[in-house]
Amino acid sequence: MDILAKLQILSGAARYDASCASSGSKREAPSCGTGNTSSSGICHSWADDGRCISLLKILLSNDCIYDCAYCVNRSTNPVERASFTAREVIDLTLDFYRRNYIEGLFLSSAVMRSPDHTMERMVRVAEALRTEEQFGGYIHMKIIPGCSSELVRKAGLYADRISVNIELPSQASLQRLAPQKHKHAILEPMALIGREIATSLVERKASRRAPRFAPAGQSTQMIIGASPENDFQILRLSQGLYKKMNLKRVYYSAYVPVTADNRLPVLAAPPLLREHRLYQADWLLRFYGFSAEEILSDDAPHLDESFDPKTAWALRHPEFFPVEINRADYVTLLRVPGIGVLSARRIVAARRFSLITAEGLKKIGVVIKRAKYFITCSGRSFEKPDQPPALIRQRLLLGESSDAAVSALPKQLVLPGLFA
Amino acid sequence: MMNNYLYDGTADGLLSAIAWILEEEPDPEKVTIRERMDTLFEEGFTIGTDATQAESLFFRLKQYAPDAAHTLYSFMLAEKEGMETSLLHYVSLAFKHGDKVKGYLTHPAVRDIVNVSKKAGRELHRMKGLLRFEKLQDGAYLAKMEPDFNIIHPLAYHFSCRLRAQHWFLYDVKRRTAARWNNGSLQFGTIEQFTTPALSEDEKKVQALWQAFFKTIAIPDRKNPRLQKSNMPMKYWKYLVEKQGE
Repeated sequence: MDILAKLQILSGAARYDASCASSGSKREAPSCGTGNTSSSGICHSWADDGRCISLLKILLSNDCIYDCAYCVNRSTNPVERASFTAREVIDLTLDFYRRNYIEGLFLSSAVMRSPDHTMERMVRVAEALRTEEQFGGYIHMKIIPGCSSELVRKAGLYADRISVNIELPSQASLQRLAPQKHKHAILEPMALIGREIATSLVERKASRRAPRFAPAGQSTQMIIGASPENDFQILRLSQGLYKKMNLKRVYYSAYVPVTADNRLPVLAAPPLLREHRLYQADWLLRFYGFSAEEILSDDAPHLDESFDPKTAWALRHPEFFPVEINRADYVTLLRVPGIGVLSARRIVAARRFSLITAEGLKKIGVVIKRAKYFITCSGRSFEKPDQPPALIRQRLLLGESSDAAVSALPKQLVLPGLFA
Repeated sequence: MMNNYLYDGTADGLLSAIAWILEEEPDPEKVTIRERMDTLFEEGFTIGTDATQAESLFFRLKQYAPDAAHTLYSFMLAEKEGMETSLLHYVSLAFKHGDKVKGYLTHPAVRDIVNVSKKAGRELHRMKGLLRFEKLQDGAYLAKMEPDFNIIHPLAYHFSCRLRAQHWFLYDVKRRTAARWNNGSLQFGTIEQFTTPALSEDEKKVQALWQAFFKTIAIPDRKNPRLQKSNMPMKYWKYLVEKQGE
């Protein structure tokens, strides 16, 4: 099989992995080598689905011994199988990198023969790139659940980011849809990676020459909509991962039916809106000081489809508002619907120079379309004060003009994470 | 009564004029400055250009307010005309408030300068990703581009840290300027007449691989051309290997 055909098979099989970040790591190019990394990350292109391309995202092989129901590479799925040699992956990476197509390599794989066998071959690619080719670009490597901790450690030394995919948010769903995968085989390496990262950070404080372990941290991914877990369960799981395992990112991937299987739900379309709301809620966990329990509860375990989770929270908590723009602290400003990290920072910075007027608020670039129901500027409110939440709810849904129907709500979904 | 000043229209001229005004004028915020047009009724005092003064102003600002100096640098990349007075006021405020000045967005001059510099900075960042090199017959690499802003200097610097072992050229087709990196040294120049050199033998093959990858990496069920265009405006497609023939 020629390299073009292999590339088509093995990138097509890798595209369901959502992670494409190239940020969080800063490495200088080796003096006689190729490539460095930029801490903010760089996107090199955007695919036809609108998602950023920054890494050459491929599988080493799609020849899988596992039979996970949701996966396009499951052993019982009659697709064409292919495997790269280490040399082929290295040449592709360097050829693309030298032309500035990519920021680096994202290497994953189906399970060939055994987890250890697969992981060993993947690590060999990264090792050769770093040591033989003096490659200084970004490398993201998947950890194959069930491989030895020795291989996990080695992967972390060569890669910028490593990740173990949770895939399904509960043991029961794993059991049903991915019977060869076990919860402990996923969580154990995650915990190990977390410990190694922490140790390496301490050691590097003591000596600049101590080796770096996955400097861009670890991430994971969950498939949304292939199993019955509700948003509250998912969000609590993410919260636990951020708090206990120190993960950088949890990715959510709307389930796209790739195989027919009676264990899987039949969906008219991938649940993109649900995925979008989960990302918004995830942002609230990481950057806005919210807890999963504030966003959802056992009584209301699903994210509202009509509103972003922060607006939904605000409508449930009228006692928190209005927030005074000229006095409220940063954390309080962040709770206002429509005011994000950037706007809150701008407000705090601009207040140092003068009181912010309603006009000034717009001038510094704060969008008040949603915020106006929840704020005051030097005591003056934008809207009639003390409107009942039900009314605000309706006005937010309908927008400003009365003829704007509910169907005019923005349908464009933007995948967050382009910069993180 | 406001004092009006004139300068010769060059970047050095503008910065040295700003340096002079900050030195001599008690309240620079009450002063305007614009390019001299040599018309009959032009009023104002012309300040001479002094490259040393211009440079010294920049370095003093960099020391006192590095972030504001970075904004000034990005603003100059944009080569915007008619915003000289705003720049004067911005620099004056930056010397007064330091880096905090970037938060003073309720001030019109600060807002104007920050907005333009942000646009230039955004294009620079975008170009770091969207630039495409082609391998030439002699083994060197060439990248052509037509950016809105004059970003070839910082862009070349970025690639000099990244593709260190390669011999490469950047060529700004619109401005006819070029950068060259070879054996650890970076040079800039202008190109009078450009003829596209022959490509290396395997170049088309690598491009075909990239095009194939670009196509298969998108999830068909999630097609979203609007999002693609908003992230990657069509004005950049001309030199994108993956967008040829669309």
